[in-house]
Amino acid sequence: MTLTLSEAGQNAVAGTFGRAMKRAGEALGSMSGQVIEVQTPQLKRCTAAEVLTMAGGPESVVLAVYVGIFGSLQGHALLLFSPADAHRLAQILLAGLLGPGELPMEESTDVLAYDELELSALQEAGNVTISAFLNELGMHLHEPVQPTPPQVVIEMAGAVLDAVLLDLVSDADQVLAAKTTFSEGGRAIDGTLFVLPRADSLRVLLDALGAFGI
Amino acid sequence: MTLTESPSLLVAGIGEMVMSSSPDAHLVAYGLGSCIALAVWDPRIKVGGLAHFMLPNGPANNSSPVKFIDTGLDTFLQAMEAKGAVLTRSSFKAAGAAAMLTVGGGLAIGKRNAEMMESALAERGLTITATSLGGNAGRTVQLEVSDGRFLIKSLSSVTEL
Repeated sequence: MTLTLSEAGQNAVAGTFGRAMKRAGEALGSMSGQVIEVQTPQLKRCTAAEVLTMAGGPESVVLAVYVGIFGSLQGHALLLFSPADAHRLAQILLAGLLGPGELPMEESTDVLAYDELELSALQEAGNVTISAFLNELGMHLHEPVQPTPPQVVIEMAGAVLDAVLLDLVSDADQVLAAKTTFSEGGRAIDGTLFVLPRADSLRVLLDALGAFGI
Repeated sequence: MTLTESPSLLVAGIGEMVMSSSPDAHLVAYGLGSCIALAVWDPRIKVGGLAHFMLPNGPANNSSPVKFIDTGLDTFLQAMEAKGAVLTRSSFKAAGAAAMLTVGGGLAIGKRNAEMMESALAERGLTITATSLGGNAGRTVQLEVSDGRFLIKSLSSVTEL
């Protein structure tokens, strides 16, 4: 079922998602001990092909942390990094956890090779970031939102996103995509947070915001 | 062996199909996860087509003609016949249908795509010649119109069907 959002309804959702994405950026900053800039979040209705373009194109390689969203609001959330940026973030996270003298890994020549500690740190970074988004959203809802455990995938963006998109486009030609970019200026780490809600499950959020039917 | 970038590169985006009889043409579908690509090639007249299907079944769709296998396959096959391909002598090679995301349990679309492709072709008296289906790795595929080679590129390898 497709939900047709009025402009005012879409603005209400965009405002709430925007605040939640800022919280997500703050959570990532707090975990990494870095100042994270959060780009103004976008919320738009787009085709599957357009979502792939927003993610850098179907063949661009990403490290993605995926969290499925169940409960009163349903959908999918992904935090994407380029492989090199993911390595830099992992180094920062592990230095904070272990201390700089205890870092176990050496610079690898293979940018797609991550050790278990790095993957675990990045998975947790995705989990913390996406959970902060969902917690903020949950403040507006009367029923819980349940995230799945996080899953880390290193793949072509198209391959990671198509399963998510296929889940959303079986009865609609467009999806609602929310996106923001997190930037850590000093070490040039950019991450992209995508949240793709099931359009029909937005009713619960619109009801909570008093925006349904406007 | 590498995938070719050239002016004669024709890209089948998600839910799209491309066809060519030009010997220089390379037909490509990028970043397949659970989606499934079908490459059809007629060796006699050397015409090829590549369709990037998304889902097993659903209503015919004008904006994405091969969005669904059950309603889009005939659209693709008829378009190949219109280019002169004879299906009974053509090769049919399929790739994709992976399971990228395992959490949540609700995204097993790849397996359903693979099953639907096989049964939909069988219903039409057609047999898949070669496949690279399933697993948990993404694929970019390329059909060489000159000789029917079907190249499968993952992050770790390039293979040929």
